[in-house]
Amino acid sequence: MSTVAVEVIYRGIFQRTLARNIVRSIVFAARKEGKIGTAFGRYGDSPERNGIPAKQFAVVADNAEELEETLARYEPTEVDVTINVDDTMCKGIESWAWYGLQPINQLTKANGTLIVTSRQDADSLIEDIHQKDTAFGLSISKSTVSFSGLWVYKDDHTDARILGTLCNVCPQLFSFDSMAQAMAEQGNDETKVASARRAYDGATTRQVEPGQGSSEVPFTFDLLGWQAMEEGLVIRAQGKGGGFRGGDEGFQPDRNEVFKKFSTRSMRPVINFETCIKCTLCWLQCPDTCFDVTPDGLYDANMESCCGCGVCEAVCPVPDCVTMVSEADFNDNSSQYEAWQEDKPAYQTWMTALVDKQKAESRTHGFHHIGGYAEDIAASEDA
Amino acid sequence: MTSVQDLPQIQGVKNIPLAEGYTSGHRTCQGCESALVMRLMIKAAGQRTIVVGSTGCMYVANTTYYSTPWVVPWMHTQLGSAGSAATGTAAALSSMMRKGKMTKEPINVIAFCGDGGGADMGLAAISAALQHDEYNLLILMYDNESYANTDIQASGSTPYGANTTFSPVGKEIRNMNKRWKKNTAPMLAVGHPNVRYVASADGSYGLDFNNKIRRALTIGGPTFIHSIDPCPKGWDYDPKFSHELGMLVVETGLWVQYEIIDGELTLNGPSRAIARGVRKRKPVEDYLLRQGRFAHFTPEDIKLFQDKVDESWEKWWLPGVIPVSMKED
Amino acid sequence: MTSTAIELFQTETEELISGSEAIALACALADVDVITAYPIRPYDTVMQFVSRLKADGSFDFDFIVAESEHSQFEIVKHASSVGARTFTGSSGVGWFYAFEAITVTAGLRLPVVAMVGNRALDDPGAFGVEHNDALAVRDLGWMLYWVATAQEALDTALLAWRVAEDPDVFLPMALSCDGSFLTHSQAIVNVPTREQVDKFLPPYDRGKLQLHPDNPITIAPQVNEDWLMEMRRQSDEAMHRSVAKIKQAYEEFKEIFGRGDPSPFVEEYMTEDAEIIIVGMGTLALPVRVAVRRYQEQGRKVGFLRVKFFRPFPTEELQEILTKCKAVCVVDRDYSYGAPSFGGVLFTDLRSALYPMEKRPHMLNFIAGLGGREVHVNDVNEMVDITQKAIDTGKIEKETTWIGVRD
Repeated sequence: MSTVAVEVIYRGIFQRTLARNIVRSIVFAARKEGKIGTAFGRYGDSPERNGIPAKQFAVVADNAEELEETLARYEPTEVDVTINVDDTMCKGIESWAWYGLQPINQLTKANGTLIVTSRQDADSLIEDIHQKDTAFGLSISKSTVSFSGLWVYKDDHTDARILGTLCNVCPQLFSFDSMAQAMAEQGNDETKVASARRAYDGATTRQVEPGQGSSEVPFTFDLLGWQAMEEGLVIRAQGKGGGFRGGDEGFQPDRNEVFKKFSTRSMRPVINFETCIKCTLCWLQCPDTCFDVTPDGLYDANMESCCGCGVCEAVCPVPDCVTMVSEADFNDNSSQYEAWQEDKPAYQTWMTALVDKQKAESRTHGFHHIGGYAEDIAASEDA
Repeated sequence: MTSVQDLPQIQGVKNIPLAEGYTSGHRTCQGCESALVMRLMIKAAGQRTIVVGSTGCMYVANTTYYSTPWVVPWMHTQLGSAGSAATGTAAALSSMMRKGKMTKEPINVIAFCGDGGGADMGLAAISAALQHDEYNLLILMYDNESYANTDIQASGSTPYGANTTFSPVGKEIRNMNKRWKKNTAPMLAVGHPNVRYVASADGSYGLDFNNKIRRALTIGGPTFIHSIDPCPKGWDYDPKFSHELGMLVVETGLWVQYEIIDGELTLNGPSRAIARGVRKRKPVEDYLLRQGRFAHFTPEDIKLFQDKVDESWEKWWLPGVIPVSMKED
Repeated sequence: MTSTAIELFQTETEELISGSEAIALACALADVDVITAYPIRPYDTVMQFVSRLKADGSFDFDFIVAESEHSQFEIVKHASSVGARTFTGSSGVGWFYAFEAITVTAGLRLPVVAMVGNRALDDPGAFGVEHNDALAVRDLGWMLYWVATAQEALDTALLAWRVAEDPDVFLPMALSCDGSFLTHSQAIVNVPTREQVDKFLPPYDRGKLQLHPDNPITIAPQVNEDWLMEMRRQSDEAMHRSVAKIKQAYEEFKEIFGRGDPSPFVEEYMTEDAEIIIVGMGTLALPVRVAVRRYQEQGRKVGFLRVKFFRPFPTEELQEILTKCKAVCVVDRDYSYGAPSFGGVLFTDLRSALYPMEKRPHMLNFIAGLGGREVHVNDVNEMVDITQKAIDTGKIEKETTWIGVRD
């Protein structure tokens, strides 16, 4: 067996423990079959930030020498399996400045597999995923996305389901029994092993052909050489910005072109411009300076920059004026204000539908109160 | 002394300037209140400002990997150097303008530090800076109650019992950080009687925040502001609650909003209402148990906090400011 | 400028001053803008002199007494970024307290000029000269110079601002002055006029790198492995460029002020057809020169080469001069426990510099004068004897010898 590499792409901090559980379990399971492995986080992702996409890896080999080839590196050149634990990252990830927008399947080998935690169907996901020259398999682990935090973990069996699916799509790693044994030894109770088993039994893979998927060309950057770089560790500041959409009124800041941050979003705000009372609070309290100020004093959240924190929804004093809705329902970063200007009734209909849908769904985004996670788990439909 | 700019107090949110000095595209956590503090700070100060930022989240997450969200001139300085960086920057401007080597104009000098770099490592340098009456400068300490950038370690400003990677909640010891949060701004105010402006601030009160920055920058001499910054990563909560937690910390009386201007103390906002008896303090539990870092707290732990807050408001000379009460004769 | 300031430096004068005071006068001549001080012996007499100049109105600058060396060096670093001409200094562990600031100053390409009053490192506390304090930063991008006389202290300070502030260089420079022998001993020094200095020293102009609202920049954004190596390469290139700049500035200095050696990098003393060349830095030059003169009187071919610039290391000059002799007798007023051959820092660097040569002299190392212990002529004799033996026998018994130590 040659080395098998697995990457877990996750939302920084929210899913750090989840990713860690997965990669470590892989190494423990491989050990049951006499193989040797390593688990590590990507150094450049550190320090992790809430929501910013990050990666952890598990690499397994038959012996120590084989394993050596992959060590002392920040990340493997390619992986057999890519695990994505938040389906909104299928649209691509931007982990730091100059990184560009990288496809979720960037490292996935030819005929490798992409496992995604999602409640969407394969067609919707494939629409988001960037085209590749080679084929790969897509396997969906059907559940709501699992978010925790640094100190309190939401143990909703997402890791177990992922591991079960992994055994199914990558049998060359280890058998399910080895995985089950390792899970038990690591202190996971039988219900978790049972969840893994159900996922293993029920996993299906959809083949994605070369050229299938999103045709978007993700943005990239060429790094400067030392002679082009200014001396004295100096870079130019951001521009001062100007009027809304280049006009004379309102205000639109200049934005950092080499780090946009929109791929941090798993939710985005939709705004009801008709009920807005122009209190200024969403604009004022946004840590990311997202809101463009329109000439008529309204606030348009710029989707190139919004990272989906939800503070605007929390501070808005008008019910249902700012609502955070799933990022999965969007295909681009177009301006809501412009859409509303163009066709107000259509915008209202579209926006209201999204708001209603959000009220029906439940998707937590971190710690609310003690016992909150247990309540979520009990209330959810996840297997 | 060099002159100060004309930065009047802003009357109402509608008059907050639209211009931005800190734009999008920084690698901070979702809901980062410290980032908001940066944005509001420079919004209030305007473009004729030099900002020096010491190592911490507001360095590493902002100017991450060779990019910047800053519109105004900005320079990195070392973890414990906010005070010395402010002094050096102000000294150069002062000297060069006086000697005719630079056009005379009032330029704001702001140096910021986190709670670790400021209240711990850099306290001496800040103290020294505050003795230089001849320099106009503002030192802003943004306090997210940990060494946050290095993945959350306990600092001298971390609350008692908070979960951090240097004070983890373990089987044997639950509350490993037994230190009570130090009271930095009042310490500096009391210790440097010539300083004309020391204030506490909170980004959740955006207008108040803007005005405090402006007062600090226009009063003359060295000044200090200490802001409390809810931190979704270190405190462990859904980022959308950043604003609410910033208010709760004040409404419970755990954080006191005030200004000391030329030796006179004024309480602001809810703190003022609490002091006047117009508003009752919310139970401190309402604030603590919204955060994963306190999820291990027992009723005894909560009582400890409540007692401390009660003591601050009922016994201290100045609540949240001077932890001393007059002994009965 | 005050009337006292205007009077000062109108004509060339002769003064009886220490190396510290000479540098203080150089600060005034150069119209330094910001100076920071913190007390530690033996450098801090320079700060006592500059503060007196300020108090008497002879020289206008912002003088800040910092609360620690770390802050002291941080303050001038930031002043320099805004475009102020700066000066600071320290000694021994005080210099080490500022290490973080010292490191970043070079990385930031800020032309701070500092005086290091070379002093032994604690523990134990001792005030006598050793070179380890300044040598410790040799990898980081500071230009390093060892001064031997008070005159040289003044002259080299002027050279320092000139070279450091050259936009093609923009590297800080430290002037090492041996504690006591240079910092506290007074000698006759020729003090030039303000007019001469203005001819030699242009104003400090940071251009597009200046931190000022007219030039919005971000200085030192955080970087990862994608960027740092390129930044290091830039500093490397700057140090390469400094060599030609030093030569050019030194030629101009000689023209304007009428004094100087053939080379800015090294000082040769009776090295023509010398068989043994003693190499060292700083004030030990003085007893060595006495010994060399006596050897010459006896007809023995012994010479002395004083290394002035330690960074950039004068590899070419040293190769050219030392290839001709039979043996090099390196005197280190420093130590480097566990180094190759357990030798000192100068020896290790020098041996590395001479390695590529086809014709290599014997190289012997002598650790001497530590903790301020005097180096006497008979110490030099001892070193030369050992070196002579190596030439005669063709063998080196011991590469490193500690001289003048009680057993």
